[in-house]
Amino acid sequence: MSVFMDLNVLFSPDRNRLQGVIETAAHLGFSTVAINYVFEPSSKKKQEVPVPCPISELIDQLPVVQGRSRPIRVLNRLTVLMSDSSHFRPSAPEYRRFDLLAVQPTTEKLFHAACMLYDVDIVCISVTEKLPFIFKRYTIANAVCLMDSCKGKNVILSSAAEKALELRGPYDVTNLGLLFGLSDGDAKEAVSSTCRAVLLHAETRRTASGIIYTSRIQQEALHDSDCRFRLT
Amino acid sequence: MVRVKSRYLLCEINVSDKRQLLLLDDRAVATTVKAAVARTHGDYGLALCTIRFSVKYLNTHTGIVLLRFPKKCYKLLWSALPFITSITTRGQNIPCFLNCLHVGGTIRTCQKFLIRYNTQQLHRMLPKCKNEEEKQQIRESLMDCYLEGGTKEALEGESESEEDEEE
Repeated sequence: MSVFMDLNVLFSPDRNRLQGVIETAAHLGFSTVAINYVFEPSSKKKQEVPVPCPISELIDQLPVVQGRSRPIRVLNRLTVLMSDSSHFRPSAPEYRRFDLLAVQPTTEKLFHAACMLYDVDIVCISVTEKLPFIFKRYTIANAVCLMDSCKGKNVILSSAAEKALELRGPYDVTNLGLLFGLSDGDAKEAVSSTCRAVLLHAETRRTASGIIYTSRIQQEALHDSDCRFRLT
Repeated sequence: MVRVKSRYLLCEINVSDKRQLLLLDDRAVATTVKAAVARTHGDYGLALCTIRFSVKYLNTHTGIVLLRFPKKCYKLLWSALPFITSITTRGQNIPCFLNCLHVGGTIRTCQKFLIRYNTQQLHRMLPKCKNEEEKQQIRESLMDCYLEGGTKEALEGESESEEDEEE
């Protein structure tokens, strides 16, 4: 059984709604979920990067994933909407609080720069632009173009769900991947192993390529915590 | 021997309000699925849908529905199911989504999976129940999935175990 993840659950200030979404995701079989805070910097006024709400405040007891014995894992993700290259500062201390970093470029040049230079985990493309056309056709056309250009590798599919009813089960998402032109294996990877690769990339990004990694050990003795360096 | 093969899709209908589930009936679900296929795949999809599509089983207490599709095009029709956002029945619009649990070649394999799934659900839900009455209700609705031997043979013409299973 592979591990399925949904790396885009939009943050909403309504706690109950978010709780409902996380419980539904656990019921559907997603092992990991990332709460996405969308940040749109504008050059006019100084805006602050949102601070992620700690998971223990959002929901007391994480529900157990359907078909497994572990509770669902909830991470924090930040998406920066970029319309200018100054919007994203590579190593700002505010970004440390988030487990995953994503960038959503709006121009082709920025997209190029994001893929080549920037140190982010996800380059986000929203295939539903707010146009008065029929959304579905535009979504499928855009998605097919994207899959064509990247040959179907290193793609993840996620829900951007605000309500519990907007989620879809992992096998249904795999099938949607087939609609978008991915092959069978690629479509399943888009929900499982590529997402896991994103998480590992995020961990190595935060810990300087995985060279130095500190972990806390609870000791029965007097000290509360102890640090241990591990070299890979 | 040329055998007519189908794929049976076991789905679960998720709603936000459990009581709305009770209003569902199989014809409403069938029309919703056909409408979704028509919207997504147009006339071709709708034509594929009329050959051998039907709702074989619907449990309103747990929201489990068993759909039958022809084997050649079940993936195409399956890909239209995530586009369902609501089911209209008796004038009421119930917002919901379909989650596919299992694909089987026969009703019997789907039933075996359903029994295993329901026992898991029982283990998950019983600790949360507050009183005996709810527990009894849940037990009854889950036992409903056990079809009697006679009706099962009547339903399927192609039930032998030579059918290949797919997940």
